[in-house]
Amino acid sequence: MFRKLKGISLSYKMSGIFILANLFIFVVDIALLFGINRMSVEMEMAYQNNRQLNALSIALDSLQDSTTEYLKAKSTDSLSDYYISEQNYVDLVEELGTQITDIPYTRMERNIRNMSYDYMDQVSQTIEAKRGRNVEKYRVLYESATKRYEYIKAYIRSLNSEQFVSNSEKYTELAASFRTFETFAMGVMFFVLVGSALVIIRITGRLIHPLESLAASADEVANGNLEAKLPESTSSDEVGRLTVAFSKMMVSIREYIERVRESMEKERLMQEKELMMETHLKDAQLKYLQAQINPHFLFNTLNAGAQLAMMEGADRTYEYVQTVADFFRYNVKKQNELVDVADEVDIVDNYIRILNVRFSGEIHYDRQIDERLLKIKMPSMILQPIVENAVNHGIRGMGDKGHIFLKVYRDGDRVYISVKDNGKGMKPEDIEKVVNGKWKYEEQRGDSNGIGMDNVISRLRLLSEREDVIDIYSEGEEMGTEVVINIPYTQDNEKQKED
Amino acid sequence: MALCIVAFLYVRLYLTDNASDVPEHIYDRYYVMITDDYKSSFWQSVYSGALNSAEENNTFVELLGSNLYNDYTPEELMEIAISSDVDGIMVSGDGSEELSALIDEAMDKGIPVVTMYSDNADSKRCSFVGVSGYNIGKEYGRQIVNIKKEKRTVSYNGANIEGYSEFAANVTVLMDSKMDPYAQNVIMSGIQDILTEEDKESETNIETVLVDNSNPFSVEESIRDVFMEDEIPNILVCLNELETTCAYQAVVDYNLVGSVSILGYYDSDKILNAINRNVVYSSIAVDTKELGRFCVEALDDYISFGNTSQYNAADITLINKGNVSEFMKKEDAADVP
Repeated sequence: MFRKLKGISLSYKMSGIFILANLFIFVVDIALLFGINRMSVEMEMAYQNNRQLNALSIALDSLQDSTTEYLKAKSTDSLSDYYISEQNYVDLVEELGTQITDIPYTRMERNIRNMSYDYMDQVSQTIEAKRGRNVEKYRVLYESATKRYEYIKAYIRSLNSEQFVSNSEKYTELAASFRTFETFAMGVMFFVLVGSALVIIRITGRLIHPLESLAASADEVANGNLEAKLPESTSSDEVGRLTVAFSKMMVSIREYIERVRESMEKERLMQEKELMMETHLKDAQLKYLQAQINPHFLFNTLNAGAQLAMMEGADRTYEYVQTVADFFRYNVKKQNELVDVADEVDIVDNYIRILNVRFSGEIHYDRQIDERLLKIKMPSMILQPIVENAVNHGIRGMGDKGHIFLKVYRDGDRVYISVKDNGKGMKPEDIEKVVNGKWKYEEQRGDSNGIGMDNVISRLRLLSEREDVIDIYSEGEEMGTEVVINIPYTQDNEKQKED
Repeated sequence: MALCIVAFLYVRLYLTDNASDVPEHIYDRYYVMITDDYKSSFWQSVYSGALNSAEENNTFVELLGSNLYNDYTPEELMEIAISSDVDGIMVSGDGSEELSALIDEAMDKGIPVVTMYSDNADSKRCSFVGVSGYNIGKEYGRQIVNIKKEKRTVSYNGANIEGYSEFAANVTVLMDSKMDPYAQNVIMSGIQDILTEEDKESETNIETVLVDNSNPFSVEESIRDVFMEDEIPNILVCLNELETTCAYQAVVDYNLVGSVSILGYYDSDKILNAINRNVVYSSIAVDTKELGRFCVEALDDYISFGNTSQYNAADITLINKGNVSEFMKKEDAADVP
């Protein structure tokens, strides 16, 4: 039944329950009223046959009186009275039973009936005789009729008293049953009331239960537990729909919160990255500034030196001083921005050239560059420190046997820049330390621009947003080292390249 | 729902429970029995015999007057019966002309009338059911002879009987003023015949006293009068139940138990007890059930065949000290419904 009711709206359900309960009580009431009504009718009827007999007795008296009156005065009025009384009496007599049964009353009724017909016959004969003025006859007939009248009266009286006794007994019984019925009715009403109240409580409880569990869930959610267990919908009424909607809402809120959390996380990461980037740049800058106290003064000085060399006709000196000046200008100029691979390669060229002048051509430097990749953007001041490391830790002290090989190439969406030397090589644990940024620097060397590998790696990682931006290969002691960095080959870079 | 059903059942049960009296049986014919004293156990017993027999033929017999508050004479009851147009009348006759006229009236109207116990021989009644008065008389005669034999004085000479001194029996027969005198004369002749046949040697003084039965109390008074006389009879013959009961009470009251022997009539409890206590010498019981049955049969025959036997006699039985216990047992058994 409840399954069928599931689709019905809550208000219909509630009204239905109350209407049904009321209807039930109403039906019981009607039944009880019906019973009471039947009993009261019965009680009214208890003395019915006494009333009938009294009416019969009165009619008989009236018939006898009108007859006597007629015989006395022979008036038209009394004759018409006689006819009316006779008809009246006949009507009443007709109602009497004719059966002979084992109940004395019925036999008495039968006798009264038969005697009444006999009596009426005699009375009519008397009236006839009176009309015929047969004095002797009507006197005899009247006496005989009167005798019958008395017998009938006696019968009616006896029957009346007998029935009164029996009716009184019946009435007492009826009254007793009536009282019992009253108690019974009250009992029934009480049980019906309690029963219907219980049924209503039970049914409304069943209807309200989903609402209660929904409210409990809502409370839990209100107290901050978004992971609260969601109530299950069992019906499709308002409560059911509310439950479904609540569940959906909760799922949506959870998803939304998750999304917000994710985007906040991203934002935080971005900010972190930016901050890091800035920190590292600042760090690089600081290091640079520590090394280069006044680049402009240095440029001007160097430029002055270059011009002096040119005026003196010392071309190589002019070229060298110019290269040194370019090298430092790059450092000053391109600190904060992305630069082309070409710029980085140029600075490496300058750096090698400077060193070769310093160390009178000790370093062999080769490069193999895919020209198409020269416009790819990358952070500034990356390649030069790598090359500086290769020189300082790799080939230093090798005399003119030191060799540096620079290679720029593309593989898929990455652009690789390899700096390879044939120097001392590295132990695998040292490689590990460098890649993981755990390498401890020795004291600052005078001939370094001060930017360490960890700074380079950090900035590369920030740019690429990935960890594996650098690979260091070394086949062992005195077997050389290759440092390969990779940068993304992006669409932007592509476009810029086309531009 | 269950409660509701219970309520309905209750109402229904209650209503059927208190339904007005429903007749168990509907009869085809309606006979009435008219007696001078419907309360006497004699007539009650006759009535029950008649009723039982009638019910076999789906006929109801009413002891007329028992339902009415007024006390009516048999004649008035006859008028009521005739006026009520019953199917048959059984009336205890008294030989009076008045009753005979009413019997004739009923017969003329097509209502068969049977006289019972005593007759109105001069009426048109279709049958008479009674007991043989002559036989009753003979039985009383024998009892008188027995009493005389028992009470005569025997003189012995040694072991041999020398002779008897006869008991002087003063018998008073209490005649019923309401009873057909002819029937009473028959009883008297029965007594006389036995006395002359079986008691030739001694004399028996027989008197009759007419007991006034005109009103319910006069019988007792009349019988007391007998005991107020100078000469109190030593044998009292009663011809109906009431006389027997009154005589028995008078004998006890006047402390004459043993000196007055009562020859009673009928076998009511009181009389049986009196026999058992030796207050009443013996009693003659009429088979009242048979009497009632014969009446009904006579009416049935008359209605069915237009004719019936003019005379039917019910059996009589003598009850004395020797067999009273059997009757008392029977009565006890009959009392159990």
